[in-house]
Amino acid sequence: MNQPVPSRKLILDRIRAATSSAAQSASQLAEAYAALPRAYIRHGSLSAQACIELMIQRLREYDAEVVECAPEELADTLAAQLAASGRHRFVAPSGAPPEWLVTSAHPIKGLEWTIDRGLAIDEIEKAEGIVTAATCGIADSGTIVLHHSSREGRRVLTLLPDYYLCILRASQIVETLPEYFSRCQQPPALATYISGPSATADIEMTRIKGVHGPRILVVILVRDDANK
Amino acid sequence: MTHANSERVCLDPRFAPPFPQVAEQMLRNPQLRKNVGHAIDVIQTKRGKLVVEKTDWQELRSAASAIRAHALDNLGVYLEEFEARCTAAGGHVHWAADAADARQIILGLLREENATEVIKIKTMTSAEIQLNPFLQAAGVNVYETDLAEIILQLGEGEPSHIVVPALHINRSQVREIFARTMGLNNLSDDPKELTNAARTYLRQKFLTVPTAISGANFLVAETGTVAIVESEGNGRMCLTLPRAMISLVGIEKVLPRFQDLEVMLQLLARSATGERMNPYTSLWSGVTPGDGPQRFHVVLLDNGRSSILAKNKERQTLKCIRCAACMNTCPVYRQTGGHAYGSVYPGPIGAILTPQLMQMKHAQSLPYASSLCGACYEVCPVKINIPEVLLELRSQVVNQERKQAGRFFDLMYLGLRIANLIFATAWGFHAAQRMGRIGLRFFTRKDGWIHSLPSLGAKWTQTRDLRGLPKQTFHQWWAERAKEGK
Repeated sequence: MNQPVPSRKLILDRIRAATSSAAQSASQLAEAYAALPRAYIRHGSLSAQACIELMIQRLREYDAEVVECAPEELADTLAAQLAASGRHRFVAPSGAPPEWLVTSAHPIKGLEWTIDRGLAIDEIEKAEGIVTAATCGIADSGTIVLHHSSREGRRVLTLLPDYYLCILRASQIVETLPEYFSRCQQPPALATYISGPSATADIEMTRIKGVHGPRILVVILVRDDANK
Repeated sequence: MTHANSERVCLDPRFAPPFPQVAEQMLRNPQLRKNVGHAIDVIQTKRGKLVVEKTDWQELRSAASAIRAHALDNLGVYLEEFEARCTAAGGHVHWAADAADARQIILGLLREENATEVIKIKTMTSAEIQLNPFLQAAGVNVYETDLAEIILQLGEGEPSHIVVPALHINRSQVREIFARTMGLNNLSDDPKELTNAARTYLRQKFLTVPTAISGANFLVAETGTVAIVESEGNGRMCLTLPRAMISLVGIEKVLPRFQDLEVMLQLLARSATGERMNPYTSLWSGVTPGDGPQRFHVVLLDNGRSSILAKNKERQTLKCIRCAACMNTCPVYRQTGGHAYGSVYPGPIGAILTPQLMQMKHAQSLPYASSLCGACYEVCPVKINIPEVLLELRSQVVNQERKQAGRFFDLMYLGLRIANLIFATAWGFHAAQRMGRIGLRFFTRKDGWIHSLPSLGAKWTQTRDLRGLPKQTFHQWWAERAKEGK
């Protein structure tokens, strides 16, 4: 089934012939790479508080709803948000901590949690909402980063349901994209960067929200930085 | 006439008419010019604001340019590294020397999957190798999933831009296409309603079609990662729901390291759509058990790229990250739209890429489809000096013509040879001036302008008027003045 070897060899031979200036050894290559200019801004200049405020502002520009809470208020805040959503059937990723699922402070009539333990696609499709954690928040562009750990769920979970609630901790927020990449010493096998809800401008450049992905994005920002 | 495709457009450089010929048709289409102009104004305004707020824009450009040039200089090593990492992560890497090779590899993979249907994420590379008609003819139904691509597929139109391919079609034209092909007679021309119609049309496809085809924005050698940036979520659907996935990627798309994405992603969305970041970016390497397609193939496409790599000035063409900023800023593209370029790659980048990917004889007019104003170079996020490459290609066109046997029947060539003789001596030049003044008198109108000339002269007057020759030359006036002064 594999490709005929000739094409691979043919292409690589053509490339080698075309790039006579290529580095001759791994160390030469590493040296050439290290010498590339990188004078762009790596680290942000905002205070921690200003950085979080910028993240909130960017998310709101995307029409996301942002709610702040203290770490001990998370369960109540989550329950209140779910109650306010008017939806009932929610999915949580396999590694969702038990505190998310407790809704005692705001008992919601008919609320139904399904934990993703290999749910079939149509079961996810039937869900009205999804709740996950995140890996990182990038304030400069209002981006939520998912590396799809067991608390962030499989990629499809944050795609099919129309309502997405993301729990982001203040300590996860960085100001610039390069700061996120420098935190990523071990590059992830899977990653999704979300900057606002699904959108298109394909018809006369008119921005329409919610083409295929979730139309509603709610972010609970857990202020785990308050004691600093 | 609101029908989007009243005239059939050809984007195969082998058969497309020369640029000036199609451009003239496009200039006579006010609806098209209005649609293109409006779309470009919107993108340009958004882009402008976001580039200004980015205080390190020039530093980002310099870094991106250097990273891309470095990757190309060492392309062989980085491609092999990508192949090794992707394979180690459970992916399969295939190499396609040309378009036919790539089409056969993809069809072979689809046959292994017993696929009769395939969903697609927008990819210019597949348009370049004309994959859709090939697969349809082989009995595989192809469904585009990007909104603009659906508009084009259902309306049987051709892309006119590499980021917003249907920008030449307005809402009432989209309504007409959707109403006709989806049987929705009560559809209004509200973009929201039209988008919803597409969402409903596609949902079932996403949930049932088990095989997908994509392109890629970047490959990362260090990690075997493939990156796709998008806005709608159709890409994420295709990347997570099917059982098998095939990504067709040009060999030039590789980046050395994962961290290089921090430069590219900051530049790409701002340049392409005027956003700080596109709504969705997906990164994956190989196959992840329990998440997404469990069979994953990358088809690396050469199709002329390695020969561009071999040329000094032209190599920079391959740095392109397909953001379309050059066409958005181009005064020529703005007037003609994309179809005039007779290629799936329009605008300034198309004017240099197409003649190099194809044999030059198929796209000789494209290096001239520019005023050389340099706006494309100024906005290019990876600093491709497009005017420099345009000039290089123009010189190649001339050198090619100079050797052709048919040149002695070419009026332009003969005219220039005669001009060569005339300009060689002062008396020849003066004689030609006198003859010219007499000859042109018949074409000069009362307003002192020449509006139309026959034969070769028409090449000038079909696009602008020519000032009639003055009654005397500067030399004559100078000589007279000297005489009077005495």
